Amino acid sequence: MKSPKRFGAAVLACGALAIAAPASAHHSFAAEWDSTKCRDFTGTLRKLDWQNPHPYFFVDVKENGKVEQWSFQAYSPVTLRRNGTDRQVFLDNIDKDVWIRGCLSKTGKPNAAAAGTLKFSDGVMRQVGQIQD
Amino acid sequence: MNALHTRVAVSALIIVALCAAQGLAQGTAQGTAQGTAQGSYTIKPLPPGGPTPRLADGHPDFTGQWFPNGAGQGVSGRYGVDPAAIPQFDRKATPEEPPQFRPEALAKIKSMTATELELSKSSVNCMPRGVPAIWLQNPYTTFIVHKPGLFAQLYEVLNNWRLVHTDGRPLPKNPEPFFHGNSTTRWEGDTLVVESIGFDERTYIMPNGWYHSDELKVTERYTRPSMNYLIVEITVDDPKVLLKPWKSAPRRWTLGNGEIYEFYCTNNLELEELEKLRQQELKK
Repeated sequence: MKSPKRFGAAVLACGALAIAAPASAHHSFAAEWDSTKCRDFTGTLRKLDWQNPHPYFFVDVKENGKVEQWSFQAYSPVTLRRNGTDRQVFLDNIDKDVWIRGCLSKTGKPNAAAAGTLKFSDGVMRQVGQIQD
Repeated sequence: MNALHTRVAVSALIIVALCAAQGLAQGTAQGTAQGTAQGSYTIKPLPPGGPTPRLADGHPDFTGQWFPNGAGQGVSGRYGVDPAAIPQFDRKATPEEPPQFRPEALAKIKSMTATELELSKSSVNCMPRGVPAIWLQNPYTTFIVHKPGLFAQLYEVLNNWRLVHTDGRPLPKNPEPFFHGNSTTRWEGDTLVVESIGFDERTYIMPNGWYHSDELKVTERYTRPSMNYLIVEITVDDPKVLLKPWKSAPRRWTLGNGEIYEFYCTNNLELEELEKLRQQELKK
């Protein structure tokens, strides 16, 4: 089945072209976060800590009948403000559902991840951090 | 056209078609988030604009908020960005040679572990980038306020600033080491040339371990060929580290809407995690 692979490669090529990569000067995601341990999270946004160099948002993640609070690191506030996902967008979604694609810490820090993309209840896919998988 | 060429051509057409379709879809899907209209690329290269604005003394006026890309707005993490709007220079038209390091400098750089390299970066440790890194490895905007006698640079990142006096004062004989160095300026036609010495040795030229010595001399050449474009060309002369001076490509910055934001680094949680990783490296 070569065709699906080619189609996938073509879509990936488009993604590389259409989504502006973070400036090359930014620090390396791979130094701190594990791109082999990325996964989806669903839960409820509870809190936002909007500071530099990275904001953190806190989500009650629901899994297997349990609820655990996770923290997610995002781009800098300046970058988020300029790409349309500013502080007010997060505040407007406190106590609401959120879906996140993120990667775990290399140190094994519990319940901590770097967010790549997320969706709030409006269904808009937002890039809030580096995408590594 | 042989079979291989045919396959390549067909693949290229498929990619172009998919990109166009994806661009349209993203333009629609991101309308709310990005404030963009529908279309294949919603963020495009900024055109040159009108003529070069000038100061009362006739020299070019570099005043403006400048983005380190071709778009005149932020591009990181945004959908629908024309790839042509991202780079600061065309690597084919104006290739940038890699620095030629002295053997001992290269050995020192290569001896850094991955985590040490990461910890050395201004974007990680929240130290000032310094000159010339602020013009070479800065994804954020710079606001320039220019008037006769003064060339002020307000860096968004870390709320750093630099005042360059353009009143003809010479370089100091015994400069105090500053992150932004000690500068003297001159005009060469419409080019403002800034020469600087006396740098704090904790800064890096690039985020790849390229350190500098106390003999670092930096020459910046600023031009504004039109309203929307600022061109910055950097020469790094450092005989203790480089075999010959390194010259950057002419890097283009584009005019923004004037919005520059606060960026005090008050919650740096990454140092602690990276220090843990460094300790793990040392145990290996």
